[in-house]
Amino acid sequence: MTEENFLQVKNLVKYFPIYSRGVLTKKQVGQVHAVDGVSFNINKQETFALVGESGCGKTTTARVILNLIEPTSGEVLLDGENIFEKFKGSDKKEKLKLRRKMQMIFQNPYGSLDPRMTICDIISEPLVIHKHVAKECRCERVYELLKLVGLEEYHAERYPHEFSGGQRQRICIARALAVEPEFIVADEPVSSLDVSIRAQILNLLADLQKSMGLSFLYISHDLSSVRQISQRVAVMYLGEIVELAETDELFDNPLHPYTQALIEAVPIPDPKTKNVKARLRGEVPSPINPPLGCRFNPRCTHATAACREKKPELFEVDKGHFLACAQPGQA
Amino acid sequence: MRRLLYMIPVAIGISIIAFLTMYAAGDPIALIKAGKPNINEATLSGLRTYYGLDKPIPLQYVNWLMNILQLNFGKSLYGGLPVNQIIGPRIWPTIELQIVSLLIAFAVSIPIAVQSARKPYSKQDVAVTSFSLFGVSMPTFWFGLILIIVFSFTLGWFPSAGSQGVAGFVWWGNSFFDQIAHLILPVAVLVYVSLAQNIRLIRANMLEVLRSDYILAARASGLSERKVVYSYALRNAITPAITFLGIALGGMIAGAPMTEYVFSWPGLGRQYVTSTLNLDFPTIMGITMIITVMTLIANLIMDVLYVYIDPRVRIR
Repeated sequence: MTEENFLQVKNLVKYFPIYSRGVLTKKQVGQVHAVDGVSFNINKQETFALVGESGCGKTTTARVILNLIEPTSGEVLLDGENIFEKFKGSDKKEKLKLRRKMQMIFQNPYGSLDPRMTICDIISEPLVIHKHVAKECRCERVYELLKLVGLEEYHAERYPHEFSGGQRQRICIARALAVEPEFIVADEPVSSLDVSIRAQILNLLADLQKSMGLSFLYISHDLSSVRQISQRVAVMYLGEIVELAETDELFDNPLHPYTQALIEAVPIPDPKTKNVKARLRGEVPSPINPPLGCRFNPRCTHATAACREKKPELFEVDKGHFLACAQPGQA
Repeated sequence: MRRLLYMIPVAIGISIIAFLTMYAAGDPIALIKAGKPNINEATLSGLRTYYGLDKPIPLQYVNWLMNILQLNFGKSLYGGLPVNQIIGPRIWPTIELQIVSLLIAFAVSIPIAVQSARKPYSKQDVAVTSFSLFGVSMPTFWFGLILIIVFSFTLGWFPSAGSQGVAGFVWWGNSFFDQIAHLILPVAVLVYVSLAQNIRLIRANMLEVLRSDYILAARASGLSERKVVYSYALRNAITPAITFLGIALGGMIAGAPMTEYVFSWPGLGRQYVTSTLNLDFPTIMGITMIITVMTLIANLIMDVLYVYIDPRVRIR
């Protein structure tokens, strides 16, 4: 049971209300459908990637899973435990226990380190909160973590502004690893870094996963990094998962027109390849009033009348390959 | 240390400007002459020589500066008392007034600003922001007068003027409470003004900091909400308020002229107003120099404090 389905996300929904404000009155006039019924599961020691355009709800999904934002509905099971119920409950110890199991790496390493704290303080902060190691061993643990992510002991006394982006992201990783979590959410951990640093960080994450048995939820819009690091991929569009498959299967045999367009849009570093015309036209429709039927239909080249009326459900096309499209594979 | 050396040219510069302004303002001898038309010329030129006003301006400046350095600010043109004796007893009441209101303003504004930043645009926040916008925009003398009318004349709860009871009349029993009774109204005015400014400043910064990723990171690692807000976010949000405090501190030493004037507070601020109206240059100059030096010292203290608060400004 723990090998498969280590983390289960079931029908997760997050709507953000929109208010219109009068002088004293407040009226809800609509809602942003940020995450609309997302389900997937992550196996132990697996890297599960969530890809999609900006604003499709990837980050919201991640934050809701970590209970940094209250979900509207749905449930998340970590190791069989319903975490939303736990967080709603009053048992502080249980809450802390859950927090220890799941950690997050943020997109922007310039914003996610408190400028007033030394690296030692930053990394040992989770240790202090969770009383994870004895006080006397804290420094040792910090040094250990710094080495683990490829930094030196003497870095511990410095402040975040003295480091480069890549180094900062390593610090963030060290902080996330400090309390030996089992599950890490990496929210675009490399998108704000130089291309030359990206591979280093991705390799570091892959190595750590092997040596520590971590499960990752890897969020990205960069398909080449997804291909490199993850075992399974889910493609999100406007708050919904439209296709989910093992990485190789998804890249070799994309069925959803949106997935196909995304993969085609990845630049190939070969001057001989012909430039494919951009398949995606227009903007992502507003998540406040998502289109009826299939949410992708206004931008889809294969959309039929049926697509505009009936919303396709996610179904299993092949073993482990899920799809939500009525006109699959018409590339 | 280098900062300390920077202060010297600044102080000299201000002293020159202040000295020249004094000349631009008018000739005190002419003022005396205008006041007493039948005074004889010999007396006037005697006065001129007595105060050194017949010497060339640069020489006057050097003489004046030398005296200042020995803490001799000269004699008042108005009553002939040494300026030292005029300013000296007024420094303490001003400091007393300002420090009390400063402490209250800071202590009160922080929790209010934080609470209001945690729930932006809530009813409570709207109330707080309007309250502070009013505090920033209203004229202090007007608010002071309103307080006097309501609490002194109508209700008779507090004295309306001075820093202690007059002619043996003591408020609230003994002299300690008497002081407090006199402090309350002027402090209320000053607190409201700086409270309003502080709240606006801290709230704005707090809003920004609370949105940042490292606050999210602190929450994700399981810190309690109270600790996240008060020890992590506040530490980052309070820096600009401290900068502001540094700037305000120097000016505060000068007293809040309007407030002191309205409440007849025997402080530097009121003296400043009175002396200006009398064209009493030595006194004006003395107070100006005190403000200058105090502002510079306050800034220096803030610079030093900064190093402790914000590691990014540490000079390597």
